[in-house]
Amino acid sequence: MMNQQLLTALASVQLDPMSWTIVAVGIGIVFMSLLLVYFFFRYILTFILNFKLRSFARRKGIDPSEADTARTMMSGEVNAAIAMAIYSYFNELHDVESGVITIKRVSKNYSPWSSKLYNMKNL
Amino acid sequence: MLALLVIVSLAWLAFVKPEHDRSLSPADSKTEVIVATPQYQPGDSGEPGFMDGLKRFWDFTGFRNATPGHLIMIIIGLVFIFLAIRYEYEPLLLVPIGTGILIGNIPMFTDGGMNLQVGIYQQGSVLNYLYFGVLKGVYPPLIFLGIGAMTDFSSLISNPRLLLLGAAAQVGIFITFIGALLLGFNMPEAGAIGIIGGADGPTAIFISSRLANGVNMLADGTTVKNLIGPIAIAAYSYMALVPVIQPPIMRLMTSKKERLIRMKPPRAVTKTEKILFPIFGLLLTCFISPGALPLLGMLFFGNILKESGVTKRLAETARTSLIDIVTIMIGLTVGASTQADVFLTRESILIFGLGAGAFAIATTMGILFAKSMNLFLPEGSKINPLIGNSGVSAVPDSARVSEAEGLKADKTNHLLMHAMGPNVAGVIGSAIAAGILLSYLG
Repeated sequence: MMNQQLLTALASVQLDPMSWTIVAVGIGIVFMSLLLVYFFFRYILTFILNFKLRSFARRKGIDPSEADTARTMMSGEVNAAIAMAIYSYFNELHDVESGVITIKRVSKNYSPWSSKLYNMKNL
Repeated sequence: MLALLVIVSLAWLAFVKPEHDRSLSPADSKTEVIVATPQYQPGDSGEPGFMDGLKRFWDFTGFRNATPGHLIMIIIGLVFIFLAIRYEYEPLLLVPIGTGILIGNIPMFTDGGMNLQVGIYQQGSVLNYLYFGVLKGVYPPLIFLGIGAMTDFSSLISNPRLLLLGAAAQVGIFITFIGALLLGFNMPEAGAIGIIGGADGPTAIFISSRLANGVNMLADGTTVKNLIGPIAIAAYSYMALVPVIQPPIMRLMTSKKERLIRMKPPRAVTKTEKILFPIFGLLLTCFISPGALPLLGMLFFGNILKESGVTKRLAETARTSLIDIVTIMIGLTVGASTQADVFLTRESILIFGLGAGAFAIATTMGILFAKSMNLFLPEGSKINPLIGNSGVSAVPDSARVSEAEGLKADKTNHLLMHAMGPNVAGVIGSAIAAGILLSYLG
């Protein structure tokens, strides 16, 4: 009964046409803005960066197509693995030890202040 | 004799005349006089005495002025604090808001228009000054600055198609807008309520402070209701409850096979791309929706501070001290604004109902859009629909939910990095939607 009343009340409400305009324009603009950002970063920025990379490769005498593939295909995981390998190589070189034990003699000057002889009672 | 006359005249001019003038024409006064001393003494029997003093004290206590509404709100505040401490549901927000609810619902003597300059709605009180930042929309852009300074857009740059999931989830805002209109709210109020679907607390406060602030006049001469408190509380409550609300919808909307989809790991993003993203993101989005400028301008500014690499101190301040200070202010004042007489209304109950619907619709739309994108994507580039829920802002809770649900389906399938893409896209999308609502209804 209560639900029926609510539904009847809802059905009787006449929405301002402006509200539908807001909904249509709102959804459209949100999608359009983010689509624009998507196209920019997917195509335009990629094109600019690839162009920059190719010109850099050309200067260095590298095949530009190879440089481009390397940049776009390399994942963060691969980078992390390479970084870890380089770090391990440079920082864990001490893994192989010489095995030679040396005893270093330390010479100390005599001082009566720490002499056992002077600090014990001669009974 | 003359001296006596002069003294009496001066005394009359100094003390009696101003009072006489004030009592004659109080309405003519151009500046508002804030009365610090009580204008009306409760229980004033005319005979000062010990018992009369005690009675006067009793009349001013919270015990004397408490109503069931105050007690209900205090219990709600305690529940917020309990949820934050016991279950760690958004503790950085729920502890200040919960404490704010306690502060805002200490009963006070307000008969006869008494202004003790203590309560948040009493002009001249400290809380009222702090509440200014909410009323005028000062705090939300500062929060966005901090969010920008701590957000890494790498996952979005490496896979920009995830931006569209952030757009799809914003459909919830506009469906809730229509729902609010059907329930009898006027357009600006409905717009402010709809933004709860964006699942973004600062945006919800920003829009409600502009559209449903209890000050703006409508074309028919009526004033909009002050819905800042209920909208903010609903938005933050549902954000805290994201781990409870979203998983059942996600499981319902996806098949076992879809939940097992493995996405390609995101590629490494160069520093140049990271710097260019906020600059071009700002220009592209704000040229289309200038109403979103206060929020998106600050968001991308914060990100430029972070990614430029030359303003580390500023970025550090924005993402730590500044955002912490503003979070304290916004949480406390929003909580305190929920005074029983303002908050416990039929509208608040409707707003909470609409807010729950908004969250469910936004989550559903994000997942459905991810599924529909898969229809067009080649094998190997498909999107796991479990990240669709992250299109609602709620950073990073909804992304965490994606990760948790992904791990439930496959213990080795981590979705967190992928889910962060639509998550930050949701922040941008909800700010754009807010800008559109402002441009139409503000």
